[in-house]
Amino acid sequence: MAAAAAAAAASGSGTPREEDGPAGEAAASQPPAPTTAPGARLSRLPLARVKALVKADPDVTLAGQEAIFILARAAELFVETIAKDAYCCAQQGKRKTLQRRDLDNAIEAVDEFAFLEGTLD
Amino acid sequence: MAERPEDLNLPNAVITRIIKEALPDGVNISKEARSAISRAASVFVLYATSCANNFAMKGKRKTLNATDVLSAMEEMEFQRFVTPLKEALEAYRREQKGKKEASEQKKKDKDKKTDSEDQDKSRDEDNDEDEERLEEEEQNEEEEVDN
Repeated sequence: MAAAAAAAAASGSGTPREEDGPAGEAAASQPPAPTTAPGARLSRLPLARVKALVKADPDVTLAGQEAIFILARAAELFVETIAKDAYCCAQQGKRKTLQRRDLDNAIEAVDEFAFLEGTLD
Repeated sequence: MAERPEDLNLPNAVITRIIKEALPDGVNISKEARSAISRAASVFVLYATSCANNFAMKGKRKTLNATDVLSAMEEMEFQRFVTPLKEALEAYRREQKGKKEASEQKKKDKDKKTDSEDQDKSRDEDNDEDEERLEEEEQNEEEEVDN
């Protein structure tokens, strides 16, 4: 019995249910890692939050699921890109910690980031 | 305090993880820098949404679709994102299709079962319905539970 409880705890489902569901994906959605199938982590950002941002735009009526997903993925790519660009600045200063000023420098230096000017304060 | 769109932040833990994986080992990031990047990501989504919406309106559509977003990326001069995004979209579509087929198959199986057991509404059936609802929620969207 202890083994079964341990297995249940390991699989992530906290509630000790008597019924052993055949569907392994019966685990309730837990924040923040979306684990749908092993190795199929298509996006790490929670789609619900991205959707909330999209809906904040008064001009937007509806957004399809695919659009939300791509926006989430694009935001991830954006974070990677800006982090790397900012890191270049930190490297030049021979620092190993990214500071806020590295980010500001990257925004000024890179044309694509121009839309960020004045928005981060 | 009014809630502005820029205040809708993406979860810190996820942002931090993405940053760390993008940078070489041993590199750290200050709290200010991380929160600035997080805000930048939110602004990015808002800006991309607005751009994508323009394309949707041009096409006289009321619903934003994936193509609108891809067009927005090009408009925003993030062409380098377009190819990886297209690949991600393909994978996402395959996954959605797989999930849908799996759920439909389950429904067929369940229908076969309930047809014969229609008379007694046993406890087991209720539990099965719960499970199915959970699965349906999962496959529709990655809804986040309230923190």
